[in-house]
Amino acid sequence: MNSIRSIAGLTAVMLVSGALNAQSATVLYNERVVELEQTLPDATDLWVKPEDLTRVNDFVLKPEGACLDELCVPVLQDRDSAMFITRRGQAWFNVTELADKLQQAYVTDYNDGIWSFGTMPVTRQSFLRGGEAPDFELMGRDGELVRLSDFRGKKVLLLTWASW
Amino acid sequence: MPVWQSIYEELKSENFEIISVAQDTGGEEAAGHIFDDANVSYTAIIDVNHQISSLYNLVNVPSGVWIDEDGKIMRINEGTYAKTHMDGAFGTDDYVPIVRDWVAKGADSEYVWDRSKVRASIVQRTPEAERAQPAFRLGGYYFTRDNDEKAEQYWTMAQELDPTSWNYLRQDLQYEEGGSAGPEWRARRDQVEGAGGNYYAPLEIENN
Repeated sequence: MNSIRSIAGLTAVMLVSGALNAQSATVLYNERVVELEQTLPDATDLWVKPEDLTRVNDFVLKPEGACLDELCVPVLQDRDSAMFITRRGQAWFNVTELADKLQQAYVTDYNDGIWSFGTMPVTRQSFLRGGEAPDFELMGRDGELVRLSDFRGKKVLLLTWASW
Repeated sequence: MPVWQSIYEELKSENFEIISVAQDTGGEEAAGHIFDDANVSYTAIIDVNHQISSLYNLVNVPSGVWIDEDGKIMRINEGTYAKTHMDGAFGTDDYVPIVRDWVAKGADSEYVWDRSKVRASIVQRTPEAERAQPAFRLGGYYFTRDNDEKAEQYWTMAQELDPTSWNYLRQDLQYEEGGSAGPEWRARRDQVEGAGGNYYAPLEIENN
């Protein structure tokens, strides 16, 4: 009986301290490495402050939902849901729930709090179905950003190779 | 590399650009000198995270993509050597002439694919293979922070999730005994080819 009570007590302490001590996390997406000072502790999902969302994946939380250009995923913000909750006045957005909805793959190292996200299939239909070249933005060796879209009007031969 | 530079010199005045992407976790140190030795003046990128292969669903190097003036893909997913190497051990002299033809004739080149052929040539990924790219990216994150144990863990995960990717396998093998073209690579290649598969998607250059 005692031990049950102490386990219950311990769990309560963990819940309280978890809620108070939001933990840091690192997000990898494309070339970016985003350090988040505070996320809501959760065993399986990544909850970030709405203002951090854009740094993480370019989405913007608007009244109509989480939006990326023309695409908007509806998000109720006046009540708790799988995508959005409020705790002690602080709103939290569930990035992994959004990823699941978009069929965006991710892999997590829970010990180190690192969340690595793959490409978003929903933004890639023009490539997969239409054969449009996906745009990219990578640092060139000369220190200038290289964007494919800067080469419109030219034919481009895109070549990959490796030293190995 | 020097061959591509000479092709570039020849064709650059015809609204033509080469974007050459070295996908090397080892970064500038691993690949930079190869660009330097060839004195390249085209657009050169060192792609530490294999971003281009993630975006274009490419599984091997070298690979080539033709992109027209409007950003439409005209050919994709081919083993694209500029010339024959090692007395024919690998590479081909047949690719450069078709690039010339495309640059000269554009959409009228007989080597340009139609939309359905382009679509059919894009590698389709399984849900597991979709997860392989963030796993590989995570491994690379640890690799650049000298955490070899976790780098190996996630690179192995990437290879298991997407066994069709030579990029994940060979980038990893580079840091192991035997190297990226050693016995393990040879055995895998023999296994795939023995089962009727291809190491590279075959280069299709028909003479119409």
